[in-house]
Amino acid sequence: MVLINLTGIQPTGFTLLADDVQPKEGENVAVSVERLLAEDSAFFDTAGGVGAVITTGTPYADLDAIAGKLAFAVIEFPAFGDGRGFSLAVRLRKDFGFKGEIRATGPVIPDQALFLLRAGFDTVDVTSERKTAFEAALSRFPGFYQSDFGGQTSIAHARHTVGHTIGHSGEGHRKAS
Amino acid sequence: MYAYDTYDHAMVNARVAEFRDQVDRRMKGELTEEEFRPLRLMNGLYLQLHAYMLRVAIPYGTLSAGQMRKLAHVARKYDKGYGHFTTRQNIQYNWPKLSETPDILQELSDVEMHAIQTSGNCIRNVTTDQFAGAAADEVADPRPYAELIRQWSTFHPEFSFLPRKFKIAITGAAEDRAAVKWHDIGLVLKQNEAGEVGFEVLAGGGMGRTPVIAKSMREFLPISDMLSYLEAMLRVYNEQGRRDNKYKARIKILVDAMGIDEYRRQVDAEWEKIRHVPIDVPEEEVARIKAFFAPPPLPVLADAATEVDELENANFVFKAWLANNTGAHKVPGHAHVTISLKPHGGIPGDATDEQMDLVADLADAYSQSEIRVSHEQNLILPHVAKSDLPALWSKLDEAGLGTPNAGLLTDIIACPGLDYCSLANTRSIPIAQTITERFDDIKRLMDIGPLKIKISGCINSCGHHHAGHIGILGVDRRGEENYQLLLGGSGAEDASKAAILGPGFNEAGIVDAVEKVVAVYLGEREDDETFLSAYRRLGPDVFKEAVYGTD
Amino acid sequence: MAKKITGPQLILANRLDDGRAVFLTATGTWSNAAADAAVADNEAELDTLMTVAQAADLANFVVSVTPVAADTSNGVTAPAHIKFAMQARGPSVRADLGYQVSPNWEQ
Repeated sequence: MVLINLTGIQPTGFTLLADDVQPKEGENVAVSVERLLAEDSAFFDTAGGVGAVITTGTPYADLDAIAGKLAFAVIEFPAFGDGRGFSLAVRLRKDFGFKGEIRATGPVIPDQALFLLRAGFDTVDVTSERKTAFEAALSRFPGFYQSDFGGQTSIAHARHTVGHTIGHSGEGHRKAS
Repeated sequence: MYAYDTYDHAMVNARVAEFRDQVDRRMKGELTEEEFRPLRLMNGLYLQLHAYMLRVAIPYGTLSAGQMRKLAHVARKYDKGYGHFTTRQNIQYNWPKLSETPDILQELSDVEMHAIQTSGNCIRNVTTDQFAGAAADEVADPRPYAELIRQWSTFHPEFSFLPRKFKIAITGAAEDRAAVKWHDIGLVLKQNEAGEVGFEVLAGGGMGRTPVIAKSMREFLPISDMLSYLEAMLRVYNEQGRRDNKYKARIKILVDAMGIDEYRRQVDAEWEKIRHVPIDVPEEEVARIKAFFAPPPLPVLADAATEVDELENANFVFKAWLANNTGAHKVPGHAHVTISLKPHGGIPGDATDEQMDLVADLADAYSQSEIRVSHEQNLILPHVAKSDLPALWSKLDEAGLGTPNAGLLTDIIACPGLDYCSLANTRSIPIAQTITERFDDIKRLMDIGPLKIKISGCINSCGHHHAGHIGILGVDRRGEENYQLLLGGSGAEDASKAAILGPGFNEAGIVDAVEKVVAVYLGEREDDETFLSAYRRLGPDVFKEAVYGTD
Repeated sequence: MAKKITGPQLILANRLDDGRAVFLTATGTWSNAAADAAVADNEAELDTLMTVAQAADLANFVVSVTPVAADTSNGVTAPAHIKFAMQARGPSVRADLGYQVSPNWEQ
């Protein structure tokens, strides 16, 4: 597997923690949403950065309790067509102002690269043979009709902004707002 | 009509280049069929029984004469000299080669057309009233809003992988010619008490194996809130629509399961959070798009034209065509004209390349170079001066396009069925052909009056049988084609679900049954009662008795 | 794994390039004519044919490889079910198109 960096973020190094394992002092760990909902503050105090492994079946309401404590998030796609993953990323950015890394894992396809970026993802874990196609897909379209979390304003807005050119800055959701 | 700017052109050209690369990778084996299938579907390319099928979008059913000429050219150069206009106001080609599809899409891109999102689990081509911008009875032209939705929904970062396909329809008139209540979302333009124009919003309609009529979400939504409200509706659906069973994945099932009140509550809660984020486009953009749909500069003319009166008195077929295929225009002295693609014995919705070229020429000569496609699979010239009607009709008639049957029993909607479609259980087209041959008498048809027959070759309901005054559904009964008869459906503002009358029939039997049903209506009707009104008054029993006998 | 069959079978697919329906022959080639199709009378024969067909799929020559019931009662092999018989002939409403014209109708 290789990591495709969509936004130029510094990717988080972390340990994927099994449910019965405790974090080491200061260690970056990713754990399931279920576990995060059950853990007390000691867990968060011990670990370094805590990330959630969010399955696409995670109810949006579950994010309420944990979003504020997260350093990063990993959204797992069970199939590339499971579009709930996109809405989960949008929710994190939009409703919680989440600025940390959002990573996509699972069988997402290269042709989704710009969809992932625009929904608020920073990185994608892909099999190495897909790396080239993923990177090619990132520069495929000059602009889109929607303002997005990759820092691009919509064509509709660009049309009426003097001197505006479209294109991804790559850091949209981390800009001061 | 909308015209692309450099942004629109760049996007569609990028899409063609992307698809060319995908096809290339597929042909070389770098993509498996499993990986490629969703990609080709997102470009409207299906694999059917005999060949690939390419579905080209005709956004909200509007096209120019130049675009129609390109459609004719594609039919001639890449296909077998014809195309099929669909109930989704699109056109389908039945014989394209995979290797040539990128070239077809490039040619289409040159005239501002594409096949984007004509398939796949995304927001599909927005459909509307075929008389939009022309009909005398409309509150406002729905097409600027359809174009706004087209742009907002194209490659949407969040809503391109929905649980299932998603269809939005808009009408600007109280008489619903766009079947909005049968769509995932229906929008009805209306004026509130303050005289402002906005939308009534409906949700959760759909056909398929579980027919549902849409329910009202909101009596009045200001136009400026349209996109943010749609975004909230789609987000709740994307998150909570079922993904475990594709037959239960449409929004109608979600709305039914949670109830329209709960769905509305969740949508409203989400909408409150996003109303002020810049999803809705700047006012200047709405104005820019609206300007493309400004009414054409038609002169106000006398409503009576002597040329029309003379031919009407001399030629019964013209008189019938005038009565059935033309309608009241906003501008006095003009009419909108329906070109029937339903010749008796013909294939509903098919047009040859020559016919397409002719319609393009006639649009240039008589209709401000504008053409529409209706969900009833006909073509429309929206802006014709009444004094031109005799000349127009005679040219149409010569080319086999003058059938005076719009809105009558032989104006049948039929899906491609098993003659082309890999999902079908039975053929549809031959049933339509036999019915139209059986009723090949314009005087008899006009006596019967408005009667919509809609035929689907499988439960997916592309032929809208649930909404037919008379619906016909083909089913596979132990390897034999069998046809169920349904009565009492409507796709109009008085939408209703057709009900199955009884056991199914074979190919000959279903046509006889239709004839018996019509005979009952003619015997029982009161005054100028239509078929649908008579059925609603009488109920199914009298029809059942006539069709199946008393025992 | 042998698939249970209840009667003779033939193998139908579409060519990747142009999507046209094609039938697997006894020599492992693909023909436009159903009459040329190899017929499997038992599971083992069907397995053998499917192995050949799937190799063509993997080689990106055909897609949608489907074993279907064959009708050999008239001495001419054809798909038994109406749907697949349609693929062997062409659209019933356009006698001028498809293999009903000739297996080489497009040449």
